[in-house]
Amino acid sequence: MTAEGKTGIRQPVLDIRDYSLAYGTAAGPVEALSGVTLSIQPGRTLGLVGESGSGKTSLAWATMRYLPANAIERSGEILLAGEDLRTKSLDEIQDLRGRRISMVFQDPGTSLNPVLRLGDQVAEVLVRHRSLSPKEAREEGEAWLARTGISRPSDMMNRYPHEASGGEKQRVVIATAFACNPEMIIFDEPTTALDVITARQILELFDDLHRETGVTALYISHDLGLVSRIAQDVAVINQGRIVEFGPCQQVFGQPEDSYTRDLVAAVPHPDHRIVTGQPDSEEGLLALGEVSVTYGKGSNVLGFLQPKRELVQGARDVSFELRSGEILGIVGESGSGKSTIAKALAGLQDFGGTVSFGSRSYSGRRRIDRDYRRGVQIIFQHPDASLNPRQTIGKILSRPLKLYDLVPRSKRARRVDELLRSVLLPEEFADRYPHELSGGEKQRVAIARAFAAEPRLVICDEITSSLDVSVQASVARLLVDLQQETGTACLFITHDLNLVRQLAHRIAVMLHGDLVDLFDVSETRAPDRHSYTRQLLDAVPIPVEISARGMTA
Amino acid sequence: MSELVRHPTGLVGTALLAIIALAVVLGPFVAPYDPQAFHPAVRLSGPSMAHWLGTDQFGRDILSRLLTGAGPTILFGVGATALGVLAGSIIGVTAAVAGGWVDSVIMRTLDGLLAVPDLLFTLLIVTILGGGIGEAMLAVSVAFTPGMARIARSSVLSIRTREYILAAIARDESQAYIIFHEVIPNAIGPIIVEATIRVSFAIMIGATLGFLGLGAQPPSTEWGLMVAEARQYMYRSPWVVAVPGIAIAIAALGFNLFGDALRDVFDPRSRRS
Repeated sequence: MTAEGKTGIRQPVLDIRDYSLAYGTAAGPVEALSGVTLSIQPGRTLGLVGESGSGKTSLAWATMRYLPANAIERSGEILLAGEDLRTKSLDEIQDLRGRRISMVFQDPGTSLNPVLRLGDQVAEVLVRHRSLSPKEAREEGEAWLARTGISRPSDMMNRYPHEASGGEKQRVVIATAFACNPEMIIFDEPTTALDVITARQILELFDDLHRETGVTALYISHDLGLVSRIAQDVAVINQGRIVEFGPCQQVFGQPEDSYTRDLVAAVPHPDHRIVTGQPDSEEGLLALGEVSVTYGKGSNVLGFLQPKRELVQGARDVSFELRSGEILGIVGESGSGKSTIAKALAGLQDFGGTVSFGSRSYSGRRRIDRDYRRGVQIIFQHPDASLNPRQTIGKILSRPLKLYDLVPRSKRARRVDELLRSVLLPEEFADRYPHELSGGEKQRVAIARAFAAEPRLVICDEITSSLDVSVQASVARLLVDLQQETGTACLFITHDLNLVRQLAHRIAVMLHGDLVDLFDVSETRAPDRHSYTRQLLDAVPIPVEISARGMTA
Repeated sequence: MSELVRHPTGLVGTALLAIIALAVVLGPFVAPYDPQAFHPAVRLSGPSMAHWLGTDQFGRDILSRLLTGAGPTILFGVGATALGVLAGSIIGVTAAVAGGWVDSVIMRTLDGLLAVPDLLFTLLIVTILGGGIGEAMLAVSVAFTPGMARIARSSVLSIRTREYILAAIARDESQAYIIFHEVIPNAIGPIIVEATIRVSFAIMIGATLGFLGLGAQPPSTEWGLMVAEARQYMYRSPWVVAVPGIAIAIAALGFNLFGDALRDVFDPRSRRS
């Protein structure tokens, strides 16, 4: 069926020619893809790289023929082994999906049906497309689960999705995708929703299965480092156009397009420090003494009306110190307690133990006073949620000035302009509402609001993780510039190890609520690192060849 | 406002409400006859040049009665809803902000009240308070309170954990600032929308109470009472019942469509342009 057997010219498995797609909206058609041309040779992996809104997922949907009703296909062909998918009827497409082309989605939590056993979901595809009997299908499904590295496949077959971890669920989804030996599989950010170490394991699984089965893959991702590791070819998509397409080495090594160059340069690389030197003073600013946070304390009066809740330890006896002007990175997986520490320090979460700030010490949330709150500012992860949508940017920025009585009323407008300039935004933004700004711009406003209070410590809770790569880099740089200028200390909480190695003086590692490691950034690779720290470091691909050449380009 | 009119349902709703508003304001002045004047010669007559919408069992001009009745009917609906929304919002916001056992006690009590159907609840209160338009209005507003409290509470709860509220708490803003500047401006949308839709229910409940003789008393020109009084002549001259009935339906429909459109306009996803 495929052209693999033929000698001579090999026919690409997927061949998209001059494909254009638009979505009809109330405000007229919005172009999603324009003139996309790319092809994947049998057995190769094409990485499709782009930022959010670039059209990379639209392209995947178009290939799978899952288009919404308002999609307008303007032109082009999508050929799967020479057959144009656009001309196929719905029946033919349904027969094709899963058998010849399948897809692995970003979030395994939503791509599996929560009310069906995992085994039934794997077997269903086999029964439908390979006409196996249910019994054979279950056996075959179990064999596939075993191949994806699930330790007790027969046990897993009988579980429901909520009884499996994120990594296990993604393995099941991958087993389902591979089960019918399709010619092609589309992976849409399959590791983005997983934590670093699990993501690494899934990537290894992908590598193994790809080598064993020789399947052709389209791998969609925003992560250049990751794509450079697993793909042979890469296509860079920007605003619906393929701006660069070719072998990985060539595209990342000598990018020709300016957008690709920017993208490559924006990838955080631990060797390119954006913070230089050490904090100026040795003076201690903040000290945590055995800080613990427990979740799940319900009301005790009507506790009997509510189901018994289990107490969850968010953080356990965490102690560390922070000097003035120092940037301390806190890393860990989701649920490790790093955000819990941020909330406790921002006075949003009750805690046990003591927090010393400056010359005073606080035991518990209720003891925290205005001086402390002014001196410690927090910036949140989602810029969309951290600005009040009903207030103008000017009002948002002038609020700390008024609240802490920093600037007299007559000078507030001028100070707001200054603040906007300091985060590289035009002064006109003072009259705008948050929804008129992009994500990166909103995050700049949130940074300006934190610095408006003239704090001595700024807590950054994953402030770059909901932003695109190129925006991430500029926001991180801006934060560091402001931090250096004002001499404010900074707690930088993130899961991005490469980024934190670029800007932190010291790094703290958290695991299941415990602080397991704390080290100077220059000693990241020292032999006395905690085993978990080493595991984390090994799990993160360092984009070596990308940056080395990308920066000089 | 311009977004409301661009919406097809919003356009119809706004137009209907505009007509109703005109009738409320100008009705008593443009009414061709005294709404209480008897014209014995033309009792229960159909529409004619002299009486555009016909006359009732006493020969009173229906158009005049309809126009003078618009005010009491609509004001009843709006007034009852406003009182109910105010009381409900205060209770709901209090419950949501207080949390813990205060919230549990308030909400379980309201759940109990919600189990009683609106109309039955209203009838119960009217029976206790006695008949009359003021009492009926109070009764409707009391009946609306539990539902509105629930909506206000869920609306506040959904934004209470938003990061901008957390940011305000972390800044050490006062409780009052957080409630009035951060919470309420963002929670008010669903409450206003629900309120406009409820105006139509209030008008219908008011009409029902009038019909049952528990609301407005004769010779009031309240629309529900007009339907009730004309009931026995329904077969002989249907328009006597139909005209105020249709007027009630138009008012209710107007508020309902307007509320639906308002909800779409308040939805931030549709606001991005």
